[in-house]
Amino acid sequence: MSVPVMTVPGELRTGETTAAVRAAGLRKTYGTGETAVHALAGVDVTFAAGEFTAIMGPSGSGKSTLMHCLAGLDTATAGEVWLGDTPLTSLRDDQLTVLRRRRIGFVFQSFNLLPVLDARENIVLPLQLGGLRPDPAWFDAVIARLGLRERLGHRPHELSGGQQQRVAIARALLPRPDVVFADEPTGNLDSRSGAEVLGLLRSSVKETGQTVVMVTHDPSAAAYADRVVLLAGGRLAGDLADPTAESVLDALRGLGA
Amino acid sequence: MRSVVLAQLRTHAARLIASTLAVVIAVGFVVATLVLNETSRSTVLDTVGARYVHAAAVVTSEGGSLADDVADLEALSSVGVVAPAYEAGVSAEVPGRPGSQYLSVQSVADAPQLRWEQLSSGRLPREVGEVAVTDRARAEVGDVLTVSAYDADGEATTSQATVTGIVDLRGDPQAGLFARGFVTEAQARDWGAGFPAELRIAAGPGFGADEVLRDVTAAVPGDAVVRTGEAQAERAAAALMGNTTALASVLLVFGTIAVVVAGLVIANTFAVLLAQRTRELALLRCVGATPRQVRRSVLGEALATGLVASALGVAAGIGLAALISAVAGSNSAIPLSGVAVPLSAVGAGMLVGTVVTVLAALAPARAATRVAPLAALRPVDPAPLRSRPGVLRLVLGLLLAVPGTALMGGGAAMPDVRVALPGGVLSFLGIVLLAQRAVPPVVAAVGRLAGRLGGVPARLAAGNATRNPRRTAATATALLIGVTLTSAFVVGAASTRATATAGLAAEFPTDVVVEGFAGELPGSLENTLARTDGVARSAPVLAGTVAGPDGDLVGAFGVDRAEAAATLRSTEDLVLPGPGQVSVPEWLADPWAVRDGDRLTLGGDPDREVPARQFTVRVVDADNPLLLDATELRALAPDASLGQVWLRLADDDPARQLDVLDRITDVVAEASPDTQVTGLIAQRAEIDEILDVLLLVVTGLLGVAVVIALIGVGNTLALSVVERRQENGLLRALGLTRGQLRGLLAWEAMLVAGVASALGVVVGGSYGLIGAASVLGQVGDLVLDVPWLQVAAIVVVATVAGLLASVLPARRAARTAPVAAIAAA
Repeated sequence: MSVPVMTVPGELRTGETTAAVRAAGLRKTYGTGETAVHALAGVDVTFAAGEFTAIMGPSGSGKSTLMHCLAGLDTATAGEVWLGDTPLTSLRDDQLTVLRRRRIGFVFQSFNLLPVLDARENIVLPLQLGGLRPDPAWFDAVIARLGLRERLGHRPHELSGGQQQRVAIARALLPRPDVVFADEPTGNLDSRSGAEVLGLLRSSVKETGQTVVMVTHDPSAAAYADRVVLLAGGRLAGDLADPTAESVLDALRGLGA
Repeated sequence: MRSVVLAQLRTHAARLIASTLAVVIAVGFVVATLVLNETSRSTVLDTVGARYVHAAAVVTSEGGSLADDVADLEALSSVGVVAPAYEAGVSAEVPGRPGSQYLSVQSVADAPQLRWEQLSSGRLPREVGEVAVTDRARAEVGDVLTVSAYDADGEATTSQATVTGIVDLRGDPQAGLFARGFVTEAQARDWGAGFPAELRIAAGPGFGADEVLRDVTAAVPGDAVVRTGEAQAERAAAALMGNTTALASVLLVFGTIAVVVAGLVIANTFAVLLAQRTRELALLRCVGATPRQVRRSVLGEALATGLVASALGVAAGIGLAALISAVAGSNSAIPLSGVAVPLSAVGAGMLVGTVVTVLAALAPARAATRVAPLAALRPVDPAPLRSRPGVLRLVLGLLLAVPGTALMGGGAAMPDVRVALPGGVLSFLGIVLLAQRAVPPVVAAVGRLAGRLGGVPARLAAGNATRNPRRTAATATALLIGVTLTSAFVVGAASTRATATAGLAAEFPTDVVVEGFAGELPGSLENTLARTDGVARSAPVLAGTVAGPDGDLVGAFGVDRAEAAATLRSTEDLVLPGPGQVSVPEWLADPWAVRDGDRLTLGGDPDREVPARQFTVRVVDADNPLLLDATELRALAPDASLGQVWLRLADDDPARQLDVLDRITDVVAEASPDTQVTGLIAQRAEIDEILDVLLLVVTGLLGVAVVIALIGVGNTLALSVVERRQENGLLRALGLTRGQLRGLLAWEAMLVAGVASALGVVVGGSYGLIGAASVLGQVGDLVLDVPWLQVAAIVVVATVAGLLASVLPARRAARTAPVAAIAAA
């Protein structure tokens, strides 16, 4: 087990910018006793608003579990998560669901879209689930930025992998959530489409101040982020500002990955 | 591959529950029908045949007397004793009971070995003046009956007989029809029994039935028939069982429907199970399984399921039959005691269940062999399954439906049920085939409507319901069949009832007629009856005689038109005359040579000194005498008096009308003893009751098919939930609450069930109307009636049941953690 290096306590960063998401003492344990597996073994981390953060780490480091707990998809065994000022662990399932619908956007690696809905319906789905209508100007802006105007009437199986991910990003951005969580958004894409998707995520941060947290195992994807949080063995193992592919690779090597 | 089959069964046993349940219900139904049929056959044999089974031989004769043969037969060495059966009909008065009742009397054998009567108390009669009776006589041991016997000329002789015992006829279905008496031969002859209709013969010591049969056959005259006791018992039972056998075949038709519906559900289950297992099957192919082996493994699974489910079904069927037998017992119309399980029923149940299951799995098994080995390596394809409904199916469906419908329409127009029935069968098969193509677009259209009402979950449900058209169609078709048949029957029965009621009302327009045997009724009776509770209207009918055109006196009734009309249900056949009019029944119109509109002179009777009057004739098809206006009858026949009272009963509570009839009978009996009360309302109630019971039974039977189909709906949903685990997880991640997810599945179930039942009701209703038109049109004037309330109830019940079917799958889906969407399969 490696000793955490370059750890920056969450509280320190909170002072500098507003925190979009914050976790304290986060633990997630599967099983009990001898066979217990600690996916998260006490994580304190803060994600600043308007920043593009990548969570990296070797397989089994707990990066996906961390994201699931931060996004209210999974419940932690111990610890607390705040979305802005809202503590998530005390929320009931329905409250969590509504919170995800209103304040969190998701982009997954695969199976992002509902096959029975066309692109437009997929994009407005979270708003409609809450009985809301999209702001037309903002909808147009998002569609234009993602280049989806010609594809709105298509069903997911009529779209390429890259197009599907762009629809997923549009869906994530449309409700102007507090934070967009992206779980290996380029995992299933060729490198050109991957670069396009990462560029779009990055520009949404730069141009509209959207907070994005992305889980990835690809150093060159992580290089698009403003900051990289490294995870190993369920603990925070490093924190890089303004990463490049090389600095990320170096940091990963430092973890013994 | 056997190990794979077994492992599959162990692992996926839960998923096969629905198919198993469908088979169990269908097989159980068939087996219960067969077992009940056999039970009732053996019950009848035990009861009706009781008097024969212990006889070595029975001699019957259509024509002549067998009395002379008794002595000859008894002289035969193989014959022990001969018991001639004397029968007579008498009327008996039981002390303390009003009136007299019919008593069917038969002689008791002298020889103990030929006595079959079981006594619940007392003993059998030993001499003239003694009688044993059945329960139905409502007499007690020691009662002295006053018996009136009639000779061939109708002359009555009255004698007394003491009740010595009560005979228990057990489950004899005819026990309740009338009372029976058991007397000595001499008494039976005294009471009018002519000659013995049959001889029961017991074998002499050391002789068998074969020898008795041979000797007796040689000894009796040629026109007599000799059978063994057992053969005669079978014959007696068969004569009575004719109806129940017909009933059993009707039941088996419904059993077949249940089996077909179960087949659809099973086929669907297997298709979905295999679709889910695509990657597993592909992996098997990758590691070297041939398509043949894959198919065999699927069919092996079906065979195992079929065998287990059929065995359960057979057990369930026998249990059900035992339960029905125990509950219904000897009080039912069909005689039942205990259960008799014929091996053939067990065999048929096992065979039907297993064969249907394997047949249903054939198509899915063929599809499974087409899985490419590469499918194992590909990630799950998110594209919706596109299946084109077969062109063959469409063509075949149209080929069956179009001519079938035309034939059916022709049959209704002719009307001839022999044309309509095959048309109906053909078109229904066609519709079932076409439903596969028609249902998905209808579901989609209704889904769009529902989407406006139910928001996002309803819209998603509409999309989900049509993403696999073949599966939706198969699920819906199973329900469609059940609902179509149910509503066809409900609508058909309503029209039958309406037609029968209209026909009865025309034929028997009065609810109750009170008339005197001797002719005259006390004048105050009408007032008394009018005041009786439950009587809505009453009208007095004057009876008198008038001279016809030929001078002979004929009977005539006189009524006040307005008053009488208020008591009638229909004036179609019974036309009420106004002043100056006369209704002439056909039997008088012919000899008088008058027709509608002719002028007729009545009352030119010189003895009475009343002036003749001219009337306009209306010829009516009725058994009544002449019918005139009351005032005019009085003028023509000054001695006319109250002859009948017509009563109309209140309709507010049809169930009470029979009570009212009883009350009227009491009132009348008190006022005037020799008065007859004819309650046509009783006949009407009887027909209503028969239709009600029939409707209830058949609806219940078809309900079985609907229940199986609804299991199919739940099953399809449950499998969809498994299939769409990821998708449901994604929806939950994106903000679909648990409630909304349950709503989504509820909408999906309601869409499929609602569309299937609505289509089924439309199709079935048409079948019911056409069927009623083609059957009843042959009989008489047709009245079509659609019981809207019941039809709506069918749609609502089926839809709500569909909703209920979604509850369990929905609970399971709602438990899906959102993380499931990301943790890929």
